Parts: sequence; C-alpha cells; structure tokens
Amino acid sequence: MSDLEIQAGLGRSPRTSPSHRFGVAEVLAGLFGLFLITAALFPALVAPGDPLGIDPLSAFQTPSPAHWFGTDESGRDIYTRVSHGTGSSLLIGTLATMIGLGLGLVLGTLAGMLGPVVDFTVNRFLEVLFAFPGLLLALLFILIFGPGVATATVAVGLATAPGYARIIRGQLILVRSSAFVEAATVLGRSPGRILVRHVLPNALAPLFVLGTLGIGQAIVWASALSYLGLGAAPPAAEWGAMLAAGRTYIGSAWWMSFFPGLFIVLTAVSATALGRGIERRMRHA
Amino acid sequence: MAEVARVAPVARAARVVLARLGGAAFVLWMVATLTFFAVRLIPGDPAEAILGGPGSQTSPEALAAVRAEYGLDQPVLVQYLAQLGRLITGDLGRSYALNQDVAPLLIGQLGGTLLLAVLALGVAWLLALGLATWSSRGGRVAWTVGSGLEIVAAALPHFWLATALIVLFSVWLGWLPPISTPGAAGLVLPVLTLAVPLAGFLGQIMRESLLTALESPFVLSARARGESELGVRWVHAIRHASLPAISLSGWAFGSLISGAVVVETIFARPGLGRTLLNAVTVRDVPVVVGAVLIVAVGYILMTLLTDLAQRIADPRLRAR
Amino acid sequence: MQTSGHTHRASRTLTGLVGLVATGILLTGCATTDSPEATEPVSGGTLTYASGDAEPTCLDPHVGGNYPQALVSTQYLESLVSRDADGTIIPWLADSWTESADGLSWDFTLAAGVTFTDGTPLDAEAVQANVAHLQDPNTGSSTGYLALGKVTGTEAVSGNVVRFVLSEPDSALLESLSQPWLAIESPTALARSQDENCASPVGTGPFQVEKWVQQESITLVRNDDYSSPPEDATHTGPAYLDSIVWRFIPDSASRYAALQSGDADVIDNAQPDTIAAAEKSDAIVHLDAPRPGASNRIELNSGRAPFDDPLVREAFIRSANVDDAVSSLFQGTAKRSYSALSSAETLAVSRPDLFDYDPQTAADLLDDAGWTERDSAGYRVKDGLRLTVDFPVSTNQSIPAEQSVFEQIQATAKETGFEVVLSPMDLSSWYTALGENDYDAVSAPYTKVGPDVLRILFHSDGITPAPSGYFANHAQVDDPAIDALLTEAGQVTDVDQRAALYTDAQNQVLEGFHILPLFDQQNHYLLGTDVVGARALPTVSTPTFYDAWLK
Repeated sequence: MSDLEIQAGLGRSPRTSPSHRFGVAEVLAGLFGLFLITAALFPALVAPGDPLGIDPLSAFQTPSPAHWFGTDESGRDIYTRVSHGTGSSLLIGTLATMIGLGLGLVLGTLAGMLGPVVDFTVNRFLEVLFAFPGLLLALLFILIFGPGVATATVAVGLATAPGYARIIRGQLILVRSSAFVEAATVLGRSPGRILVRHVLPNALAPLFVLGTLGIGQAIVWASALSYLGLGAAPPAAEWGAMLAAGRTYIGSAWWMSFFPGLFIVLTAVSATALGRGIERRMRHA
Repeated sequence: MAEVARVAPVARAARVVLARLGGAAFVLWMVATLTFFAVRLIPGDPAEAILGGPGSQTSPEALAAVRAEYGLDQPVLVQYLAQLGRLITGDLGRSYALNQDVAPLLIGQLGGTLLLAVLALGVAWLLALGLATWSSRGGRVAWTVGSGLEIVAAALPHFWLATALIVLFSVWLGWLPPISTPGAAGLVLPVLTLAVPLAGFLGQIMRESLLTALESPFVLSARARGESELGVRWVHAIRHASLPAISLSGWAFGSLISGAVVVETIFARPGLGRTLLNAVTVRDVPVVVGAVLIVAVGYILMTLLTDLAQRIADPRLRAR
Repeated sequence: MQTSGHTHRASRTLTGLVGLVATGILLTGCATTDSPEATEPVSGGTLTYASGDAEPTCLDPHVGGNYPQALVSTQYLESLVSRDADGTIIPWLADSWTESADGLSWDFTLAAGVTFTDGTPLDAEAVQANVAHLQDPNTGSSTGYLALGKVTGTEAVSGNVVRFVLSEPDSALLESLSQPWLAIESPTALARSQDENCASPVGTGPFQVEKWVQQESITLVRNDDYSSPPEDATHTGPAYLDSIVWRFIPDSASRYAALQSGDADVIDNAQPDTIAAAEKSDAIVHLDAPRPGASNRIELNSGRAPFDDPLVREAFIRSANVDDAVSSLFQGTAKRSYSALSSAETLAVSRPDLFDYDPQTAADLLDDAGWTERDSAGYRVKDGLRLTVDFPVSTNQSIPAEQSVFEQIQATAKETGFEVVLSPMDLSSWYTALGENDYDAVSAPYTKVGPDVLRILFHSDGITPAPSGYFANHAQVDDPAIDALLTEAGQVTDVDQRAALYTDAQNQVLEGFHILPLFDQQNHYLLGTDVVGARALPTVSTPTFYDAWLK
C-alpha cells in the first residue's frame, strides 16, 4: 500500500541548521524542557504555593506581579497550578504516547515482518480501529471503565495506536526492501538477527520524532476528554482539565485557558524541536 | 509513462476489487460487533433509555414490556445475532431514545457532517499547501516561522479554538454568526475550527518531503530544462511532497469526525457527531452502532479515494 | 427590588413586573435605552429562543416529563390552573373548582368557548382523556403519573364540569395540576399514535407546533384563535409574535455569543459570569426565575457510614464554607439558601443558624464522633479508615459554577479532615452510582410546584428504588416522625394546618443535618433589549412569550 511513502518525509531533518552546533530554537527548547522537568519533579521549587489552595475573595484576578498568570474562579493561582500540573500532564502525554507507540510497534512489526497473511489480518484489524473515530474509541473506553486520569491516558493511547502502527509498518517494509537488508539476507543472516540488527534500528529512528510530536498531541487529546467531562477529576491541576475549565470563562477571563494552552503548545513545540535535533545527531553520528 | 498499468489483465483487476470488497465487508462486520458489545458493556440500562432516559420513574410493568419488545430480556448473544441479521438486510433498527428509525435519522444528519468534513479537508489542504510553498521560498526565517505555525496549529484543541474564534469573530468583530444559520456564513467558523489543526498536521508532513523533493534529481533536471521556479515548485515538488499527506487523508477524515463531535456541539450544528455523542451518553445502542457503521463506510470510501489520488499524483504507483 | 431603570416601561408591563418581583422573580438590567414611543406593543416578528437544555425526545410532556419538555410546551399547552406571583392558585383552563367535604372528590368547571388548535372543543371528556393518557402505562409518563398518584378516576358531571375522584385527600392536587407536565391536550390528537403526538402535540396555547427538525429547531407559530390566557397575563386575544424558533445550543459560551451577536433573542441556562456581564450591559436584560420545589442542596447519605452518624453530618456542614464560594462564583447572581425549599415556595423555612461555617465546632464534633486521629495527608482516621466522602457529580445537571462550589467545599472540608472525592460523570453513570448506594453526598435538582416535594424527597418511601433504580430520597432520611408529618400534610387542606405541618417537617429535616442547602435551583434567562414583556410563569418558572413583543 501507500504507507511507505509517509516515511519518505517524517524522518527527514530540515536543512535549516546543517551544522552540529545547537540552534537558537534548540537552546530555547532545551531551557523550557529543563523548566518542565524541574517543575515535574520538584514543583515546589518553581512555585512554592498550593495548587489547590482556594481564596474565593481573590477570584478572577488578571495577571499581575502577585499572580503572574492570574487566578481562576476559586482564586487559585494559575501559575502555581500550571507548574504543579506539569508532572501529571507530562505523564499523561508520555504514557499515552508510549502506549500508542508500543501497541503500534507490536502491530506494525507483526504486519511488516511476518509475511502477507499476518500483514493482511493486522491490516484489516487496523482498518477496523481506523474506522472508529478516535474520540469515540476513547469515549467508549472511558464509559466502560469509568472516567479518570488513568482511563483517559489508556484511552488516548488506544486511539492513537493505529496511526503509529501504520507508519511503523510502512517504515519496516521500506527498510526491509532496502539494499543493505537484502545484502544481509543474501549473506545468510537469520531473519531474527536481521530484524534486530538491521531493520528495527533503521526503521525506528523516525519514531523518536513521531513520539515527541505525539506527547503534545496526547495532552491535547486528553484535554478534549476533559472538555467532555471525562478526563482528570476537578480540581486536579492538569493542563487539559484547566484548559477545559477555563474555556467556560473565555469571554471574561482569557488567562484561565490561555496559560495552560500556552504550556501545551510550548511543550509540543519544544519536544518537537528537541526530538528533531537529537534525531539529526543520531543520523549523523 | 504508465503503459504498464494499462496492460494489466482484467482478471487481476477483478481480484483486486473482490479483495477490496471482502476486506470492506469484514471491517464493517467487526466494527458493528465491537460497537455492539462495547456499548452493552457500558453500565446503564437500555430499557431506561427507551423509557425517557436515566432517572425516569418507570413502573416495573413498563420496564418489562419494553425489555420484551426490544428483545432486551434475551441473552446478549441472541440480541447480537438479531441485530446482525437486521444489519445485513440494511435495517439499522429503531432508536431507543428518539422513537425513530435509525436509518432515516442518521441519513438526515449525514449531510451536514459530510459538508463540514469535506470543506474542512479542502481548506486544510489549501492552508497547508499555501504555508509550505510560502515558507519554502522565504529562506530560513520563513521556514522557521512556517514550521512554528504548523506545530502551534496542530496543538490547538478543537473545543478551545472554536470558542476563541467565536469570541473573536462573533462577539468582538460581529462578522460571523456563532451558531449554524441558513446561509454559508454559519459554516465559516466550524470549518476553520476543523481545518486549522489539520492543516498543521498536513503541513508538517508535507514540509519534510518538500525538502527532499526540491533536492531530488527530477527537480534538478526540471530546473536544468529551464522551467520557471514556480512551475518547478508547484508541478513537481509539491506534487511529490503531497503524496504522504494524501495517504493521510483517510486518517484525516476519521479525525475530522472526532472533531465534528466537539464542533457540532459548540456551534449547535445538527450532524452525525452530535447525534453520536448524545446516543453514547444515553446508551442508545442502535444509533451508536448505526452511526459508527456510517463513519466506517465513509472511511473505507475515503481510503479508496486517496489510493486513487495517489495513483494520479505518483505515476510510479500506477503499475501496482 | 433590583429593577434598575425600568421607569420608562409601559404601565401594563409594570403591573406584571411588580407581581413577579414579589416572589423573588426579578427582572434586572439596564433598560435605559427604552424609548417612550416603543412602549406600545406591536404585533409581528419571529423570536429566536436558544435553550441550553437537552432537546426533548418527545414534545408531549405527558411522555416522561422533564424540564426541557416543560420549557417548550409552555408555549403551546395550557393547564387547568396556574399559580400567580404570590403563590395563590388561579384559574386557567378551569374557571372554578370545589372540593367535596371529605376531600375525596374535586369538581372543575371549564372555561367556556375554548377550542384546541385542531378544532376539538375543550370539555369534560377532553380532560378525562388526558387523565387516562397520563395514567396509561403505555404513555410512559413519570412526572405526571406520580402527580396523579391519589387520583383513582374521573367523571363527566356535565359537558363542562369534570370530577376527579381520589383515594385519599390530596392537599397538593391543585399545585400538581398547575404543572406543564399535566397540561391538557386535544383528545383527538392524543388518539393518534405516540410517535405522531410526540412530534406535534395539540393544545390550547398561544402558539402551536408547526414543524420540528430534530437537532435543528422547533418552529412555533401563533394561534390566531387564542382565547384562554391565564388571569395574570397582561393582555387578551392572540399573542403578538408571529412565530418562535426554538433552538438547542448546548454549549454555554456559544449560547451567550449567539445572544450577543443577535442570532438569538432569548437564552436560558445563563452562566453566572455572563449574567454579571449582562447586568452591566445596555444590550441584555436578565430575568431571574428560580425554580420552585426543592432548593439546590447537597444531600448527605445517612444510609451508610460515615454520614449515618449525625455528628459527622453536622461536622461536614460546619466545615463547608459555602458563603464565600457562592459570592465568588456566582458574583451576586445567586443568594445563599438555608432552606430545603426554593424561595419561590411561600412555606419555605429558612434556618441560617444551622449552617454557619465553623471549622472549630466541626473539629470538636469529629472528635466526639471518634474520628480523632489524622493521617499523613491531614485527613481524619477512625479504625484505620480515612474519613472519605464520595461525591458523584452529574456533569449534565450541575453547571460549571456549581461544580466549582463543590471544589471549594472540598477544599474547606479538607482543613477539618474530610476527604471529599468529586467524581464527575454522565447522567447514566450518575444514576447507576446512586442506584447502587455508592455515594455519601450528592446534589440533585427536584422541580415541583408546592411544598409536597418534601414528601417526595424526605419520606422513607422514597428510599426504596423503583425498578429502574430511581429513588428521590437521596439523603435516605428514615424517620417515622418526619414520615407522619409529611403524610398528614399531604392530606390536610386547611391552609394554616398544612403550613404548620410542613414547617415542622422542614425544621426536623434541617436540624437532623440531612442536607446542606446552597442556593435556589438557578434558572436565569437573558433577553435582548428588543424583547419586551416576556416573563416566567410562577408555576415551574418556564418562560411564556404570550405577552412578549419585539421592538
């Protein structure tokens, strides 16, 4: 089929900085990443306040020196909440992406490596999954297993798996038919050895980029579930849930949804920039 | 260029078509099966959905009567087979909650969603192509700005973008209605909401392959032949670069349906997405199964179309 | 009275307003743009109403019987009686009525010369057909069916006098009959199939259903032969508006945007921040019409630990800082309630003394109840068990501001040592959780005309779930004394005696710390300033556009 063509592009690095030196974008992305990791591991270090501490009398305050990102409807400090929400948001994003990528890897490898019969079966299975709108898949899963962070994470992972599987399968077929794999086959290497030594390493390099793109996407997905009332339970400081909650007040208190949204976007952008940078170095190394 | 394809024997073509049809039937069957059992696994009594939704203070007699009427007192497997039997004859059954036959109900809702999805797909392509072309000629700054815009666009949740657009265009500027209206004006905001994140995706994928294409031998040779720079870009490079994005259009269709669930709710548009969401929350099994089947058919058709589009865009594929 | 700047309004509108304000149905907003020449009603025009409630699956409120049906059917169906702004029952389709001495039969004399919009005359047989329709299991009526629980049959005394025969005296009969769920429909139309009647019910109202495109809109057109306005209407004859387009816009932000952009003339379910903004705006008028029946309250499940202990219930109530939450989240659009009943009910008993925010007392009460230790997270512990309150929240029924109130209660109760677990869920899952007794606290609306709602919510009969799992006594109040009071109050038609019984019952419920009242069941409409004369019916606070016209 046509999936191999997808990868013609995804692994490619833009020629904007052909040298091995760090670009400005990468440095900025790295700094932001450092902030995120600090906030995720030691939230009190970047924001000493209590993310759940209410102060009804100072609700709906605009961003100011006292409240950098303003306050929400219960007077909670949004900067504190965004910082303390980093850990759970990144966890949702990373775990969901890993579930999606992991499932995709298994299915894609099965389809790409085990011959036409398995390929056909897995492909039909993938089509079935694809034919479900992703949000519906997640919705059904959550309604069956109950709402919450854990189910939302798994649901997003499930909903993204078929896309990853297709790309991986295409990549595997592309690599398997490449000259050096054929050479290895001619040389009499065992199929398992070829898979592990030659095919997988070459096929999986682009997954890194895919994964970094996926983290931001997974957080966005999870926020859509929060909008439908099926994500993290309030008043948890999770970016998606905050974005969804703040949307109600978008006309009167834009900062409530702007800053969580900004962090989702910045995370996606930084992850992508860093992922591409690392991938480029791996390729040149 | 593609003589090979034209001499392919008819028998081979028939086999391909049969395999396709068989595959499609299998996918539809599995989709119906999975949906049926998934919705039945959700806690909640379908008999309640029939008798006015959750919390209705129904009598035991009424519940028993409804269970018998809809076969809900039968084992789940029997219900499944019965539903499958109806589906094969093209009968989607009767909605629990809406007191209507599912088929006409969904067909009535299909048009709006399809219009929305097709327009959004078109606009997303235009945005992505435009941005990719512009930023591939504007040097490093344009490239960075372009790719930055794409990443931001792809990270915008529909529900938030929709509200932001409403606040901007309906409330502040007063240019466009925030809800569906008889004219075309009501379509602009929903279409944009769906198209912008999708354009971000398509653009990211196209951008990468555009670079490859611009440095590939056929572009170099076209330049050497003295073709104009614009011609090179549009005719050769973009065509090549759009291939991976075209192959994603099937997926994009599915994601547009997911988006339609949210967008139709926010913009109060009638459509499949909103129907589906309502049906899931009241456990209206026949409507959920029916709607998912219609989306699946749409996805299968879309995949066929993208295959066709790819064959047109890439002569090499015609041989296969 | 908060009617700022209404001095320019026509006197006929004012007479209506004064009455509305008397029961707390307030019309506020800036009407300073009203020009004197625009005060004479003009006929014509189409009003677009945007509802945030779910689209009904059946436009006949006999079937099922929920609030979205009541909202729209108020425009085309009418009841035997209505209620005025003082809480007095007034004539509507019935001119007069008499109760027999033993309280076991009621005779209603119907208004003369009223016909349904399909030409069928309103007579005793028509009313009989409606009662039969409501009591027929195949109709699937729940609200109307319950309200007629004591009615064993009807008789046509004459062409225009119909008799209701009861199994026991029913002090709530008139209040029940005033509700839109017991509206009178054309018997000819009722004889059609349920599908047909659901799509186009036929009544005597000022408008009639022209067409219904599901998920799009319901179009209502004026009934030119209209002759039966309730006593408290401000004019007679047909309505002013040509038609009403009834739309469903579930998203609150879009709904408000539609009102701002002029794509809608009236919206319901307005959110507190938009109401606050509207009050400052010249372009939008606010109509506050709290629903009758129960107040919006948190019910504490005394049917299981930890709230089976009255000390723990009181501790929870004293630990919740509701006042600050209400003032910050509702920005002055909702008033704190200390009652089991809505402020629209004249018999509501308010007990501010019982609901003070007092963390110290709360802590002492928990000590007395044996919850003396605290775990590392600061929550109280007894016998190794944490003091946890499971609180399922229906995202369909509780608006974001209400959910935020729960969050603030969660935060303040935590200081005393309660772990409140808020679980947002969709309606089906929520009812399932209640049906399985898997909750400690819950907030559920209950709209009904009159204090008889107390019997539904607090009589021990309401603990046993119906086969569908539904039950109304979420607090699981099981007290023979309260049962006796409520049963007697439901039968006594002497006004003073009835009031005394309900007062007694309410005091016992409140003093038992079974509920934490928050505010009235919020029901706010926002209207563009071009809409004049719209009001909420003092029965279940649904809007009526009979007197409304467009400038």
